[in-house]
Amino acid sequence: MVHHANDDTILGKAYDGRLVRRLAKYVMPYWRQFSVAILLLIGAILSDLLPPLLLQRAIDGPIRAGAVDGVWPYFVAFVSTLLINFVFRYSHSYFINSVGQQVMKDLRVAIFRHVQYLSLSFFNRNPVGRLITRITNDVDALNEFLTQGVVMIVADLLTLVGIIVVMFVLNWRLALISLATLPVLVLIVSIYQRFMRATYRLVRQRLARINAFLSEQISGILVTQLFNAEERSRMAFARLSDDYMQANIRSVLIFAIFIPSVNLLAAIGTAALLWGGGNGVLAGWASLGMLVAFIQYLERAFQPIRNLAERYTVLQSAMASAERIFAVLDTEAEVRDPVHPRSLPTPVRGEIELRNVVFGYHPNEPVLRGINLHIPAGQSVAIVGATGAGKSSLVGLLARFYDVQEGSITLDGIDIRELKQAELRRHIAAVPQDPVCFSGTIASNIRLHNDAISDEQVRAAAEMVGAHRFIERLPGGYNHEVRERGANLSIGQRQLLAFARVIAFNPEVLLILDEATSSVDTETEALIQTALTRLMRGRTSIIIAHRLSTIRHVDRIVVLHKGRVVEDGTHDELLARRGYYYRLYQLQFAGMTG
Amino acid sequence: MYHLRLLFPYIYRYRHRMIAGLLVAAFGAAVSALSPLVLRLAVDSLADGTIEPHRLLWFGDALIGLAVIDGGMKFVQRMLIAVTSYRIENDLRADLFDRLLSFDQMFYQQNYTGDLMARLTNDLSAVRQFLGPGLNGAATAVLTFLAATVLMMLVDPLLALIVVLLLPMVTIVFVAIGGRMRQAFHRVQNQFGVLSTRAQENFAGIRTVKAFAQEEAEIAVFTADNERYRKLNLHYVLLSGTLWPAMTLCLGLITALILLVGGQQVAAGTLTIGELVQFNAYLALLAFPMIILGWMVNLFQQATASLERLNDILRYQPMISSPSTPRLPPGYGSIEFRKVGVRANHSDQWLLRDLSFQVPAGKVLAVVGATGAGKTTLVNLLGRVRDPDEGQVLIDGIDVRELELAALRRMIGYVPQESFLFSMPLRENIGFGVATVDPARLDHVIEMSRLSNDLDQFPDGIDTMVGERGVTLSGGQKQRVAIARALIRDPRILILDDALSSVDTHTAAQILAGLRAEMNGRTTIIIAQRIATVRDADQIIVLDDGQIVERGSHQELLARNGRYAAMYRRELLAAELEREE
Ligand SMILES: Nc1ncnc2c1ncn2[C@@H]1O[C@H](COP(=O)(O)OP(=O)(O)OP(=O)(O)O)[C@@H](O)[C@H]1O
Ligand SMILES: Nc1ncnc2c1ncn2[C@@H]1O[C@H](COP(=O)(O)OP(=O)(O)OP(=O)(O)O)[C@@H](O)[C@H]1O
Ligand SMILES: [Mg+2]
Ligand SMILES: [Mg+2]
Repeated sequence: MVHHANDDTILGKAYDGRLVRRLAKYVMPYWRQFSVAILLLIGAILSDLLPPLLLQRAIDGPIRAGAVDGVWPYFVAFVSTLLINFVFRYSHSYFINSVGQQVMKDLRVAIFRHVQYLSLSFFNRNPVGRLITRITNDVDALNEFLTQGVVMIVADLLTLVGIIVVMFVLNWRLALISLATLPVLVLIVSIYQRFMRATYRLVRQRLARINAFLSEQISGILVTQLFNAEERSRMAFARLSDDYMQANIRSVLIFAIFIPSVNLLAAIGTAALLWGGGNGVLAGWASLGMLVAFIQYLERAFQPIRNLAERYTVLQSAMASAERIFAVLDTEAEVRDPVHPRSLPTPVRGEIELRNVVFGYHPNEPVLRGINLHIPAGQSVAIVGATGAGKSSLVGLLARFYDVQEGSITLDGIDIRELKQAELRRHIAAVPQDPVCFSGTIASNIRLHNDAISDEQVRAAAEMVGAHRFIERLPGGYNHEVRERGANLSIGQRQLLAFARVIAFNPEVLLILDEATSSVDTETEALIQTALTRLMRGRTSIIIAHRLSTIRHVDRIVVLHKGRVVEDGTHDELLARRGYYYRLYQLQFAGMTG
Repeated sequence: MYHLRLLFPYIYRYRHRMIAGLLVAAFGAAVSALSPLVLRLAVDSLADGTIEPHRLLWFGDALIGLAVIDGGMKFVQRMLIAVTSYRIENDLRADLFDRLLSFDQMFYQQNYTGDLMARLTNDLSAVRQFLGPGLNGAATAVLTFLAATVLMMLVDPLLALIVVLLLPMVTIVFVAIGGRMRQAFHRVQNQFGVLSTRAQENFAGIRTVKAFAQEEAEIAVFTADNERYRKLNLHYVLLSGTLWPAMTLCLGLITALILLVGGQQVAAGTLTIGELVQFNAYLALLAFPMIILGWMVNLFQQATASLERLNDILRYQPMISSPSTPRLPPGYGSIEFRKVGVRANHSDQWLLRDLSFQVPAGKVLAVVGATGAGKTTLVNLLGRVRDPDEGQVLIDGIDVRELELAALRRMIGYVPQESFLFSMPLRENIGFGVATVDPARLDHVIEMSRLSNDLDQFPDGIDTMVGERGVTLSGGQKQRVAIARALIRDPRILILDDALSSVDTHTAAQILAGLRAEMNGRTTIIIAQRIATVRDADQIIVLDDGQIVERGSHQELLARNGRYAAMYRRELLAAELEREE
């Protein structure tokens, strides 16, 4: 029921220089703000070091001396330090977050742009849900990395170093005593990381599975219900959810052991200070104020190390996300624009020639096995053939959704691989077999985001395909709300909208209709025929249809069988041949008249 | 608040662990409040200079001992409360999914897929955070605060008052900023929804985007949405950016005050240095719990907001459900529609109106009609994808609303107009609706649906993985998998909703012949746009604008010379035209 073959793999790495360098490129444009942020952070860290020192001076000075008013200057100094620290920290947050948000936006747009131009084969392999994750969660993880991860780890290290330096300057003996537990602490943290890494990977992986499962189940809920498969789905989901919980419980366990151990170590450190430092006070090589200050410094030295444990997860997830994002950005479109594109001779006529075209979705499994086809400019051709014969694949090649494996396709004598895709598609309009509707309005479904298409043109297109009649009756007419995937329209209505879209875009020379009216009734279809005949005039057109009534106006018929052209000619020629087309014809009409 | 009640049954289920967790937390809090006391005794004895060096060890031992006990308590507390929060999350998730499985199409039309997923993941996780770290932290915070207050009062009431009165300021700062953060966050979330829906639809419809060379326009729209998102997000992070500095400032100010007042007292001789140190230690001990308390308030608010969204799911009453005293269908498969009327959601527009007809068990009914005439709506009434607003749909003489839902659906093999396939191997897609797949039956339906012609083209034959929604199959292949999926159930009632539209006439004829041969009393409803597919039906009805305008057999309808005959002539005309050309 559930397949894990394509799981997002998550590596446990917390730092990968190569990835970080690539990320740095996105930060470069904002390096000024970024540097300011870092400077402010250093200021904040330095001002953080002062309070325990002030405390020490106050205790060893006025407080022990019994000077009541002598405490005031220390109070004032203390408060000023705090205010300065506040200003530093706040402005740091301002700068670093502005950079972070900018970088995120740039990255998102970069990914989206890149994905827009990837080939269809990429989309066959990658479920939509996974691509969305790249743009959302993965980018967020990188932001965390930028604003919390790197910067804060540097800050933590600086704090630690700062404290150690101050300690040694103040009293090297107390410093040595305080730091005695540090090596053990480092050991504990590294053990913790080892365990956490594995668990974290598990948690993420299992969450990804839950998401993938949910997304598909929600889309296909009707099928599950009508086929009484609820129990099975429930069990599969319970299993996924349970796995996820177990992984989480493991992480709780690790955390529940880690935190108390660190606290215990801190207590041991303080105890050592009390004993060793206390002796120092008695022996006179340390003051009481100094001892108190050290107890505070010790507490502060532990904090960055505790943080490190959490920062580590941020790093890990950022590296995993960066890796996946760059994997997408590194995916090269299989269908690419040439370096030196040629342009079509004007006016474009629309002559098409396929020479020995071989193509398949998997290597060594050809779907088209050597197609030769010449379509003169302005001709209309119907492609018929059994299901799975390769008709949709063939027209997909013309629009260059995929590239041929062998042979060539030329438009007006120029290999379509030498053209820019945008130019090619300006001349071609294709209605794909599965019409897609987007959430929005009826009008926005016809014009997409092309504002150059006016309301009148939208309406004219709808009228031409006979969609106007039903649109008019919808509440709101052209502004009627269309739900996700066109769920509140009938299938035929969705096909009509997709058809209207082609008309509205008004392709210059080439028209491709792949089963564009398979679910539309013959009466509406007859209406469309009129529009279509007008549209086909002066344009090369390729029409795929199973219903012969759909193709009655074409000049020529091509029969495709198992990836080969087996019959080619006019209606009468093919009937006379008494081959596949003849049988098709018999099936549909002979019985009717007889 | 109201929505919180939703959690009670789940918490009740784990009440023993929860209560034990709280007790342990209380004990732990009391223990951890003792260590500053030890510190004070040590410092004071050092200040006096009266202590013998080896006695210093005692203080150290006491500190370590307290840390060990405290650590043990914290461990047990986490294992009780945090683990329970994950269990509750798990239970809730299972229940939510269970509900989703029972909801009707109306619900799914009103809710976006992405939004529903967010509820089962993000919202659920917000609730868990409140139950786990939230409750955990709050319990520790309140109890530590109480224990520390008592001990501080015993030492010096004035300093104690400063701490006790000022410290909750930290929490208030958190709550105040947090409130504004939440509003900002809400806007961020909404814009996020816009953004991901945009990406989702773009990726799902990429074929269309490419075919019309709309990439640049799409990028422009996405970039604009993204810029809006960036601005909102920046507003939010700047608010949240004040949080920590502001809290650090508050805590620092209190420490400064203690230093001033306490220091002066020490200087004046009314307080010992050890006591001053003790107060400082309490501040350090309490700082984190106070922050947690503020955080807890936010978690609480987020959790209630999320619970409200979860409650939408838990309280939704599906319009389609099994009756309380269900009847079992006798299982012959006769169908009757009695004055059936269906309205478009919440409007007075009729999709179907005053529809009556009968299909005796084992007979074939064909439905034809214009695009949008209501054919799909009609067959959807049988499997109760929705219920009629008027009239009755009866199977074997019983209103479908009185039948046990699962039993009703088990009688029906449905081939929807839009073939939805799951991303699993072909074999599992076909066997989707049966408990166990009988190999002989599998071979049979593969043969019947003519998938046998295509199997050798697939890389792994019957075990080939199908892409999301079936993208790696041709249109006709998808439809035939859907047909096989319905046939393998050996249903009493078979519904083919335009199920051969993408299948070539040749293959379609073979499939129809196969179906007819093994029809053996299977009631069949066929919707189609091709005469060849419907002409052999026992009864044909012509639907127009939700009403039956003609009915009869092929011959009768031709004789009536109405719409059906016109449809027939159109196809014929096409043939004739072609013949003449
Ligand atoms: N994206 C894809 N990945 C892998 N295989 C594919 C993909 N699309 C189609 N195929 C396979 O290629 C073959 C030809 O498919 P194609 O869609 O071209 O057929 P068709 O002639 O259009 O059929 P139909 O009439 O059913 O639409 C089929 O065997 C199909 O399974
Ligand atoms: N979920 C829905 N909400 C509101 N209106 C709907 C919904 N589904 C369909 N409709 C409307 O109901 C009418 C009938 O739709 P239905 O899907 O039954 O048509 P159909 O006869 O099956 O058409 P087709 O041949 O195109 O599949 C159409 O006008 C359609 O817009
Ligand atoms: Mg096709
Ligand atoms: Mg329909």
